[in-house]
Amino acid sequence: MSNEKNKVMTLHDAIAKYVHDGDHIVLGGFVTHRRPVAAAYEIIRQGIKDLVYESAGGAMDGDLLIGAGCVKILLESYMANSGYTQVCRRMRHAIEAGELMFEDYSLDVQPIQYHAAALGSPYIPIKNMLGSDLEDKWGIPAEEWKKNPKLPNAKFLTEDNPFNPGVGDKLLLLPAAPLDCAIIHAQYAAPDGTCRIEGLTAIDADIAMGATNCIVMCEQIVHPDFLREAPWANTLPGLVADAVVEVPYGCHPLQCANFYDYDGMFMRMYDEISKDEEKFKEFLDEYVYGVKDHMEYLDKLGASRLLTLRTKAGWGYVPGLKRK
Amino acid sequence: MSELKCTKKQMMAVVMARQIKDGDVVIVGTGLPLVAASLAKNSTAPNIALLFESGIFDGGPVEVPTSVSDLRICYRASALTPQYRYFGFQANAWKKNDINLGFLGGAQIDPYGNLNSTSIGDYWHPKTRFTGSGGANGIATNCSTVIMMNHQKRRFCDSVDYVTSPGWIDGPDGRAKKGLRNDRGPIAVVTEMCVIRFDENTKRAYLAEYFPGTTPEEVQAETGFEMDLSRAVESENPTDEIMDILLNKVDPQRLMV
Repeated sequence: MSNEKNKVMTLHDAIAKYVHDGDHIVLGGFVTHRRPVAAAYEIIRQGIKDLVYESAGGAMDGDLLIGAGCVKILLESYMANSGYTQVCRRMRHAIEAGELMFEDYSLDVQPIQYHAAALGSPYIPIKNMLGSDLEDKWGIPAEEWKKNPKLPNAKFLTEDNPFNPGVGDKLLLLPAAPLDCAIIHAQYAAPDGTCRIEGLTAIDADIAMGATNCIVMCEQIVHPDFLREAPWANTLPGLVADAVVEVPYGCHPLQCANFYDYDGMFMRMYDEISKDEEKFKEFLDEYVYGVKDHMEYLDKLGASRLLTLRTKAGWGYVPGLKRK
Repeated sequence: MSELKCTKKQMMAVVMARQIKDGDVVIVGTGLPLVAASLAKNSTAPNIALLFESGIFDGGPVEVPTSVSDLRICYRASALTPQYRYFGFQANAWKKNDINLGFLGGAQIDPYGNLNSTSIGDYWHPKTRFTGSGGANGIATNCSTVIMMNHQKRRFCDSVDYVTSPGWIDGPDGRAKKGLRNDRGPIAVVTEMCVIRFDENTKRAYLAEYFPGTTPEEVQAETGFEMDLSRAVESENPTDEIMDILLNKVDPQRLMV
């Protein structure tokens, strides 16, 4: 008999239990693909503050959290609803207005930090960022890196390669990300947390294993046999998850492989409203504070809208989807 | 002066596609680079492999994708890997040199191809903030690059406000001094007016080609640093066949061009 604890809870309870004021959180997926947007809505609904937020290829979930005032420190390499909003607008405003502490990375470097965290390694040596201002200009002052317990004690250190010394083979030692909570969205999960991600797997397995706690959202909670009869296709063992939450269309308006395409017209709407602080507040009132949970959000979108987003077998997306 | 037979943006896509050789492994972002790569794949370079920083290897998009993680690029891909595999493949290209080209874009560039896509003004209190590096810094670290720029005087400056992606730094040994390999770096800048390349010995920008409809002097007038114009030749107009592929096969909805 295998170890199969039941970790199923509501999104409200999972966020309330594992995301606290001041925590360092990371969300999975990549830009417009399989990002747990519903978790961002719920964090905002619960009024959680002072977060250290990061992802490796962010989109409107991060922009929402920043715009709603949940984020104190942003560690990021990119944040856009690519193709719809080229630079996320609330993020841009917060940086230009001096309202946000931020640090810049390269998008391929952040996954390596998460990989180091997942390996249990304190740091990992890389070449990226050398010779650029990602090396020379730190967004977060050195003193803050030293004193903030939610951050490593430096953005990085540099060192001559000890295995190839004296020839100018400089390395940048990148600390593992200290993560309180990872939130990922899988297509399928069993009540014990065994889960399967289809399509792009992005950073999800690494952040799940590297963080102290992990919330696994999914499109469907399935019978354990569905996953255990093909364990080689599974992304994570159940032992990693702390909470399992069924959140259908939990990435809307972004994509989730084999379930739904992005909602291009919703992202066009978000592009418009995020230009303006008042309109952004109205959006939050309507789509976040104005609904009690994710199911009410889906009711608001309506069945026909969601059905048109379902991916078509053979293509894996919605051919000819209205995007403009 | 001869006339340009298409729009400037279409010419950019055509000229970017000319930088790709058949069989190349190319890192592409969305927008014009992907249009250029699709154009090359559908014409002069059918055997190229497209690589994306999201961990998508050798994707085969049909409809124009809007993001490097779009389901439209996952279509008929060779493999979807965790992102750290992309990092590793790119870092090993440092040794094996098996990525031929990466495309970059930016807001500011200097005469040595150092590129800014982070912010304008003071980094901590910027006048304008952009998305930041994305995967650009890693591509610039490990691969030879073609850079796409809008050609305006303020964007071509002696010194950029923030170096997101290192070019040749300050000359032939600039990269080595920083701990980077100096046998790869920016090889061309493509704008809506011209192609700029970097001198083999000094690594400084010079004008290699100017598009039909403009002159080397007009290009220099729109460039904030001095360039050698003596080697400049006029670019060839696209053929009717290439224009047909671009407009009727690659981007029929005109999402990008």
